[in-house]
Amino acid sequence: MKKDMSLNKRRVVLEKFFHGVFLLAALIAVLSVALIIIFIFGKGLAPFFSGNEYGTYSFIDFITGLKWTPQSGEYGVGYMIVNSIFATFGAILVGVPIALFTAVFIAEIAPKWLAGIVRPAIELLAAIPSVLYGVFGFAVITPLVKQFSPYPTGDSLLAVIIVLTIMILPTIVAVVETAIRAVPKSYKEGSLALGASKIQTIFKVTLPAARSGILTGIILGVGRAIGETMAVILVAGNPESGIATTIFSRVRLLTTNIALEQGYAAKLHEQMLFSTAVVLFIFIMIINLVLAQIQKRGGDR
Amino acid sequence: MSRKVKDQLCNMLIWLSAAFSVGILVLVVGFIFSKGWSKISLDFLFNDYESKTQYVTLESDQAYQAPASLSESALFSENLGVALELKEDHYEIVWMDKESPLKEATNNADEKVKISKGDCVQQIKVSGKSLKLDKKTDQEEIVKALNENNTLVMKVMSVGGGIFPMIVSTLLLVLVALLFSAPIGILAAIYLVEYAKPGKLVNVIRFATEILAGIPSVVYGLFGMLMFVNTLNLGMSILAGGLTLTILLLPTMMRTTEEALKVVPMSYREASYGLGANKIQTLSKVVLPSAIPGILVGVILSIGRIIGESAALLFTIGTFAKLPVNPESGNFSLLETGTSLTVRAYIEVKESGNVEMAAAIGIIILIVVFTLNLFSRLIAKKFSKANN
Repeated sequence: MKKDMSLNKRRVVLEKFFHGVFLLAALIAVLSVALIIIFIFGKGLAPFFSGNEYGTYSFIDFITGLKWTPQSGEYGVGYMIVNSIFATFGAILVGVPIALFTAVFIAEIAPKWLAGIVRPAIELLAAIPSVLYGVFGFAVITPLVKQFSPYPTGDSLLAVIIVLTIMILPTIVAVVETAIRAVPKSYKEGSLALGASKIQTIFKVTLPAARSGILTGIILGVGRAIGETMAVILVAGNPESGIATTIFSRVRLLTTNIALEQGYAAKLHEQMLFSTAVVLFIFIMIINLVLAQIQKRGGDR
Repeated sequence: MSRKVKDQLCNMLIWLSAAFSVGILVLVVGFIFSKGWSKISLDFLFNDYESKTQYVTLESDQAYQAPASLSESALFSENLGVALELKEDHYEIVWMDKESPLKEATNNADEKVKISKGDCVQQIKVSGKSLKLDKKTDQEEIVKALNENNTLVMKVMSVGGGIFPMIVSTLLLVLVALLFSAPIGILAAIYLVEYAKPGKLVNVIRFATEILAGIPSVVYGLFGMLMFVNTLNLGMSILAGGLTLTILLLPTMMRTTEEALKVVPMSYREASYGLGANKIQTLSKVVLPSAIPGILVGVILSIGRIIGESAALLFTIGTFAKLPVNPESGNFSLLETGTSLTVRAYIEVKESGNVEMAAAIGIIILIVVFTLNLFSRLIAKKFSKANN
């Protein structure tokens, strides 16, 4: 009897121990986020407060500045913010219709065997590392853009938009396809029974019913586009100043600014790169919040 | 516009879009392969990146037999068991005996030097004389010099242009990143699925993983540099890169494991409890074994992600095309800097516009990534069949 008791006790202790181990592992995710926020924000916000060891910098100048010249002590990311928004918006504008139609094709139009080819192809598109898109953009897209451009180089907002469009396609297609498939069959049947054609049913019934899924796909696309670095760094041109005035203008984005100068930056310059990351981080947080909101509302219905 | 025309127009747009999406894939993959294919060879895979010239001292202790397959134009040394052949304007080692003294060669600093087929012999120093080897040199004189004395010094250039250091670094990186992220991710997922009760704590954990999944990799790179390279003082190293990737991989690892655990039918657990097993026994003997294929898919996808990652690695493992070997001890070390295939592809284009090299590296990356993709698909297929 006594032996049984001790065995039981050992079991309880063991259970508790493993429970603790599992919980600890789960808390590492929380710890990581906390560390990232503390490190990035700590270093990135330091220059805006007095008493910073490398000198302070005005937050307004930082956020609205149109010139990034570390050698003369000017750190403005305003033009990068605008360029990042332009590039993301452009990619969404071009990419979303293509992705939407492709998803419709896979889910509704294509015969089964063809869908079985197109879907894996799109998934492979997502598996290609972003650097290779950069290499492709550098060797194929920029020379192409150069032929139409009034400027001497092909590095441009247009090249960035093209590369980003390709990169967000698979993300959006996958999400939208799932959303379309989740639309109840009865909706389509009802529409078809009322005499609507297949295409009319898709555009008037299925897609509106899949609205929240489509929106999720778009937001995820925005997140991917705004955070992309290595694919665009090779085709953007990365000038020291200037909001893009035409699609042929060279642009510097928030992400490329960090990757370009991180290697040799020191002191205030390095801190300002962390400040750039803070701006990027805030963008991502906004996107996450919007996403959570959409999913919440989608869930309510 | 009549309904029919409208429908046809929309239909056309849909087909065009799908064709465009697939066309892009064909175009990108086709470009990478056509641009880099001519560089692909065994030498490309196994050569060092930099070419290196060294003087090696050789000592012969026996006579060697020439192989039957040796070509007419090759020069053979009985003394050293090696055959040289004139290629364009330099002499290349085309054959080596298994016991040839070249295998045991040492340089001036008495370090072992690896000499292999394809390396160039540029000069021979024997009995106080020096002979330069190029197309003007008399071939008989070369053979004579090679066999003249039992000790001689050779100037050997190992040919570079290969990606071997990057392959090794990438493999080590995969190992390190998985070693940390797989256990943490899997254990965390077990907590969320099997233990956690809905509430604040779970919400916080879920919110944290969502944020992690959204952070751009360049920000991970910045964080990794500050945290692992500088604060923990690991320097730019395989370990620092691997730890940075560990955090980056956590959300994927957790999500795929969670999915795999969730599809294990509740009845399995109930049956196990019913037989008197406790929670840990049920987990380790029933739930995890049936979730393994799903977890494996997550691991495979993570490997693909590690191989494709670059922005997070640029300033955490470094960009030097060298083996992660400690220069003093000569041993592999995780605290040494190196560079992954993907980072190197970027550097090649960024620093010298060498698209061929980047594309050739790209071919290797694509083959690996696509194979992993295929594997995960096969496993997932088998898994879903087994569960039905």
